[in-house]
Amino acid sequence: MEFTLLGAAAIAGGAAYLMLWWEARHGNAARCTGNLWEIGVVSAVAGIFIGRIIAMLVDGTNPIAHPADIILVRSGVSTAGASIGAAAVFLWQSRKEPVYTADGLSAAALAGLAGWSAGCLVRGTCLGTASDLPWALSQAGSTVTRHPVGIYGAVLFGIAALAIAWWKAYRRPPAGMPASLAVVAAAAIRLAIEPFRPSLSGGPVWFYSASLLIGIVGIVWFGVVVPRRAR
Amino acid sequence: MWGGQPAAPHSFPHILLLTVCPVDGTAEYAVVVSKLVITTLVFALIAAACSSAAPVEGVDPPAPITSEEMQNLLADSTEPIVLNVWASWCTPCRSEAPLLSKAAAQFEDDVRFVGLDVRDTPNGAAAFIAEFYLDAPIEHYADQPGSIPTDLGGNRGVPLTFFYRPGGELSYLHIGVIDERTLVLQIDELVNG
Repeated sequence: MEFTLLGAAAIAGGAAYLMLWWEARHGNAARCTGNLWEIGVVSAVAGIFIGRIIAMLVDGTNPIAHPADIILVRSGVSTAGASIGAAAVFLWQSRKEPVYTADGLSAAALAGLAGWSAGCLVRGTCLGTASDLPWALSQAGSTVTRHPVGIYGAVLFGIAALAIAWWKAYRRPPAGMPASLAVVAAAAIRLAIEPFRPSLSGGPVWFYSASLLIGIVGIVWFGVVVPRRAR
Repeated sequence: MWGGQPAAPHSFPHILLLTVCPVDGTAEYAVVVSKLVITTLVFALIAAACSSAAPVEGVDPPAPITSEEMQNLLADSTEPIVLNVWASWCTPCRSEAPLLSKAAAQFEDDVRFVGLDVRDTPNGAAAFIAEFYLDAPIEHYADQPGSIPTDLGGNRGVPLTFFYRPGGELSYLHIGVIDERTLVLQIDELVNG
């Protein structure tokens, strides 16, 4: 049972790799300095590590005095800490061409999130708050039907990933736009499904809102300001 | 920008070798990262070795309980019960304790939280309660032989978390470290199921 997280991580990694593999055949990452797969995996692993340490600190556990606790990611990972940590490690790795590298990874990152959400089928954590909708599901032995919130996330992230991949392959968007749109999509999807997820605190809505705002600023910057300056 | 140009080659991931910069990446870079990781591990080990359990003052060790008494406690309860099996020597128990403490405080009016300390020393148990559960509305009991979880349908591993409906009917058993989603979902099943 403890290895189900690894199963979910494998599905996430597989989905991201498949997306990169497909995109590589459609001209993705032509200007990136570095291997997108490696940059993505290192950023994700570092993000989880940082997010776990922050969650430990928030809970009052000293990670230096209890280093073995760090690997117990099931006990909690700070979403905001992990995301910011992953972004920082990504920027450090791709410092020569951050915008093109971010664009190159944008669809794969969303595909990875779709895979991670679909990993709820392995982890047994697909169900959310109670619902009477026709597609609501119940756990074995229960009469309470619930939103299959993990499936919602997998479908929405998957659609966003495919849309951005198609856009990059066939419409040649301005640099920075795919990455900005991916941030907007990820934040909007998490904001939309968070009310259906069981949680003690309601989830880091503030972080999703801030990410949405940053993504919109990115879209305006790369879609309006930069092209106007170029003219 | 995207079409018409050669794709970047996808090589086998070198993450395990710490060579994360394959295009202009260098062995020198990998050596620096390796040194950083080793130095961090050494400091962490020294810090862990130097740390010691704080003296326990004003915290009683959990009261001993037999298997029969525990089964009666479950059967007689008019509230749902979350029964968490823990031990002070169990690292995963330490990592899930803050979550259980928060959940116990949040669902205090709906659910009764019970902790069962197994195969532990009284001083170790008291130190663990002092560190994590001092203000949490959780009642703790001690099972020195560690046989109660097995009698209840679990196993000898820790941590375990049992979810009981009023009257002692088992709703769900979680083996291993519990995460927030599972904990909240199963409590919701107890309260609304």
